[in-house]
Amino acid sequence: MAFIEFKDVRFTYPKKIDPALNEINLQIERGEFVVLCGLSGCGKTTLLKQLKQEIAPFGEKEGSIVFDGQPLHTLSERDQATRIGYVMQNPDQQLVTDKVWHELAFGLENLGMPTNEIRRRVAEMAHYFGIQNWFHDDTATLSGGQKQLVNLASVMVMQPDVLLLDEPTSQLDPIAAVEFIRTVHQLQRELGITVIMIEHRLEELFSIANRIIVLHEGQVVANDTPRAVIRKMKTEQLVPAFQLSFPASVQLQYTLQKAVADVALTIQQGQEWIRHELPKGEILENPTRTEKRPIALEIRNSHFSYSMHEQDVLRDFSLQLYEGEIFTLLGGNGSGKTTAMKVMTGLLKSRGGTVSLYGKPFKKYEKSKVYREWIGICPQNPQTIFTAKTVLLELQDVTSVWTMSEEEKRQKERAIAAQLKITHLFEQHPYDLSGGEQQKVALAKVLLNNPSIICLDEPTKGMDFDSKQQLATFLTQLKQQGKTIFIVTHDLEFSALYADRAALFFDGEIVSCAPTNSFFTGNHFYTTAVHRMTRQWIQGATTLPQLIHYAKKECAYVEA
Amino acid sequence: MQTTTTMFFSKMHPFIVFTYFVSLTILTMFTKHPLLLLLSLISSVVLNCLLDWRSFVKSLKWFIPIGIVTALVNPLISHDGETPLLYVNHQAITLEALAYGINMSVLFLAMFFWLNALSKIMTTDQFIYLFGNVSPKLALLLSITMRLIQLLNYQLQQIVSAQKAIGLDPSTGNVIQRLKAAMRILSILITWALENAMESSHSMKARGFGLKGRTTFAIYRWSKRDTKYALPFLFFLIVQLVFIWSKQDVFIFIRHLLKCHFLFYLS
Repeated sequence: MAFIEFKDVRFTYPKKIDPALNEINLQIERGEFVVLCGLSGCGKTTLLKQLKQEIAPFGEKEGSIVFDGQPLHTLSERDQATRIGYVMQNPDQQLVTDKVWHELAFGLENLGMPTNEIRRRVAEMAHYFGIQNWFHDDTATLSGGQKQLVNLASVMVMQPDVLLLDEPTSQLDPIAAVEFIRTVHQLQRELGITVIMIEHRLEELFSIANRIIVLHEGQVVANDTPRAVIRKMKTEQLVPAFQLSFPASVQLQYTLQKAVADVALTIQQGQEWIRHELPKGEILENPTRTEKRPIALEIRNSHFSYSMHEQDVLRDFSLQLYEGEIFTLLGGNGSGKTTAMKVMTGLLKSRGGTVSLYGKPFKKYEKSKVYREWIGICPQNPQTIFTAKTVLLELQDVTSVWTMSEEEKRQKERAIAAQLKITHLFEQHPYDLSGGEQQKVALAKVLLNNPSIICLDEPTKGMDFDSKQQLATFLTQLKQQGKTIFIVTHDLEFSALYADRAALFFDGEIVSCAPTNSFFTGNHFYTTAVHRMTRQWIQGATTLPQLIHYAKKECAYVEA
Repeated sequence: MQTTTTMFFSKMHPFIVFTYFVSLTILTMFTKHPLLLLLSLISSVVLNCLLDWRSFVKSLKWFIPIGIVTALVNPLISHDGETPLLYVNHQAITLEALAYGINMSVLFLAMFFWLNALSKIMTTDQFIYLFGNVSPKLALLLSITMRLIQLLNYQLQQIVSAQKAIGLDPSTGNVIQRLKAAMRILSILITWALENAMESSHSMKARGFGLKGRTTFAIYRWSKRDTKYALPFLFFLIVQLVFIWSKQDVFIFIRHLLKCHFLFYLS
């Protein structure tokens, strides 16, 4: 008998006609590491929440869920809280208390445990996760990765049998994300917990998971070991948009060969395959545009710290942005990339050094005009610029200060909405939209003013590959219109695929700045999966399309 | 800023720290003897300087004017006394009244400084622990409130920054524009806070909040060292109270308390 079983489960949200979950039949064994994936909006979170009754959404439910031999709803409240743990996406929203030790003790306090018992369990858990050194810290001072670790620990301290995780790494930078996934894997291996994780970042997970379940439009499309799922989805051509999320090595093999018995899942396996199948060589870069383009934004020798008592966040920071390029600023979480962007765009005052916009110093520009005509900034959290009840009102909020006729205003709004494909969302409340849709609405608000330089702060957080591609297409369109695009991100793959130039920000200054291909080939660790697979064998390969092009050219492979 | 003095106090059980400072403050409040008050003032100043002299000196710019004002209020109001210094509007400003005024001022300043020292030493953790024993619900509420304050503060900064970036800076423009911008920011913050509250409450429910029989985890435990500190303190306190009750002059004891603690710390 399976540990967790879904029998003919159907779920419909209130006031909706189409069910969010349709005929779900699943069996999950004790101790399995299950990855639940699919495109945005396919019903993953809805499915996961069904297992946690306290936070399950309201709606029409049919079918039954069996947990360890008994129907889920017959489980006592206490058991439901202790035996099933849930870790959410946003680290900040989950933290409830102001100190780390209190957060860890919170769950046990709720259960009414005596102080000694709590002390023992908390000590054990803190030791296991390595939290002893920051046990007494404020939760507000932790980094994203640390916060998520505290959340995980505060759930684990209740000793659950099942761990449910809803996109736990979407708000973390790549390094913190990998560490988090490894910690969860360690928990599964050493304690035998059943893990069900929803994720978009599948590069690491495909080699770790026992089983992959792919959902599409509320139905289970694949449910098997990773290799079997890949084989099934490729041969039956299921959900092509989702297949783009497969690890790079998988995509490479499938694009070049028709069928593979043991498809490469890890970087190392991919490396072996490449050395075996592809000849050694070099990918020559396309010559960069040599014509002199004007400098749109320049910052020179800037220093910045938040106060006199604190360390410099920017130290002799210099950067030039050319017109009509897509530029990405890379660096770890908390390194100060967002601060750098704010200083560059004049939101924060640079101490020492100069900032100039199209050659003229920043001060010479009229303050009220700068952020409407020249620079537009799309913040990390789109909710910080949402002020209205519906998306249409959001756009009208921006145009309300214009001096055009009403008719012209409406026209502009509709034009932008059509470009970004958000016209169908006009009547919805911005907070009800998915992350990617919110990002688009925020972008629409910024673009309505038609600024020449557009800055985006972490636009790809929590997006699946398909949405990222759509965003990239749109940004390239803007670039062709002559706009300059500046992106602060830690998404290396996105940068390698779509940006013209990239720079690494470290210790307060730009450490390297080059056209993307040279940038990534020059790095050893901080580089794309493709580059790590092909390093020393095929020079100059940083993206999948490049590699596929090379392979086809050199070996005359037929596309699968 | 963590000085050695702050560390010394933070190692003690919060109950001792709290009682120590509160009793010092209360004793000072009820003393009238000018010499005792002066000693109290000097020791409180010394302690504050040992804890965090930079911010103490900064705060002096508020405290010194208050002290001067307090000292001057009494002679301006009360005209009793034998030695007039000068005449204002046919009312005498007497030396005695001024002396009383200065005494009062010293009392107030000493009180402020002791309480200032307390605020530097006690963390929210310790407050919560002390008052949480009265009511566990209060303790949790305080903890959640502290978290929310930090979170909302951070979010507010983000919102202001984002608003600035789309040309709606709340610090530029005429009064009406600024007011509108401020209202807009408040509205965004509240909407976000409500949305966030939903997720937080889910997080709490998912970990069993609402089940019967909630306990409070006490991170502070009474140790032998705490007894070592508490006993002399208690002894001197009792001696002091006895002396007050019998209306004798007590010089030494308030200062003894402070010095003994330092002796223990140095040992």
